[in-house]
Amino acid sequence: MDKKKIFTGILLFGSLWGFSECVIGSALSDSGLPSGAIMTGFFALTYLVISRILYKQPGMQIGMGVIAGTLRLFNPFVGCHLCSAIAIMAEGIIFEILWYKISFDLKELKTITMQVSMGVLTSYIVFVGGFIVTQILTPIISGPGFYLENLIVILPNIFSNGLLPALIGGITLPVIVLVKNIDFSLKDRLYYPVTIGVSILCWFVVISSWIFIRF
Amino acid sequence: MFSGKEKIIPILAICVLLIGIFSTFYVNATNINKDTISIDGKEFSINQLFLMCKNRSIYTDDGEKTGIALDDLIFKVGINCPSCHEYIIKAKDNYQQTLSWNILKTGVLTEYCRVYFPETAHTFWVRNVIEIKVK
Repeated sequence: MDKKKIFTGILLFGSLWGFSECVIGSALSDSGLPSGAIMTGFFALTYLVISRILYKQPGMQIGMGVIAGTLRLFNPFVGCHLCSAIAIMAEGIIFEILWYKISFDLKELKTITMQVSMGVLTSYIVFVGGFIVTQILTPIISGPGFYLENLIVILPNIFSNGLLPALIGGITLPVIVLVKNIDFSLKDRLYYPVTIGVSILCWFVVISSWIFIRF
Repeated sequence: MFSGKEKIIPILAICVLLIGIFSTFYVNATNINKDTISIDGKEFSINQLFLMCKNRSIYTDDGEKTGIALDDLIFKVGINCPSCHEYIIKAKDNYQQTLSWNILKTGVLTEYCRVYFPETAHTFWVRNVIEIKVK
């Protein structure tokens, strides 16, 4: 596939993921819903798997994580900007590692058992892994330093928090597999305007909200 | 005929679900329910602390936060040489963060038992504080 097309795909799906984290995630959090679990189990998993099905490119989801995490840094709404940005970037990398041996046409995921199992496994490991990585890197990057004992005592909480995203992922992945045969392809002359336009819109909404709130 | 992946993925999925379920039981069983805050081994109610210590407002990226000045709190409970120690702030759910004096002295403890610091990531804003341990 054309490299330019892949790059715009990374930009599009990364921006959509980051936008969802900033806007929908914050709204869910304000409503008292478990935003982290819903973001990972539904939104992140959907963007990661659909981009993999559409583009069939290894490494693409790492790029999406970087784009989404960068956009999260500009988030003017509630929550920890740095912690979430690091977690999102880690989630992209962990997804890529987990799905390394899964074929791009998802031929391993023919049965509902496999779809549910892979959804549960992916969401749980991506969520727990992202949480652990951010607990290590946030104190290092932001200054106070990392203390192993602080991580060890909250591991049960992290493992426990992974349960809900795992259950959501177990429902999300079979639904994605069900709709994967719908033709999402755009005509070539529409591809670049649509992907770049949607990406710009995502960044514009998040950054303009940030500017509006700060000044 | 099942291939390797078709066997191992469902087994791993069951394993992570079991880890999640047992961790949830463990977390609920080990949650500490108390209304006081232990500071260097001494127990105080939040009202006592508000009467003892001076209030301060700080500005964070989440707005203005008002509470007890943590530096004053440490002085008032009689910690000698505050800058010689590190401080572990523990929550009801076992979450904890370790901070140096330079960071701790900038923070506040609110009436809802949450600490805030003006210059740190939100991960250090521990909720439901039940202990400040002097290391």
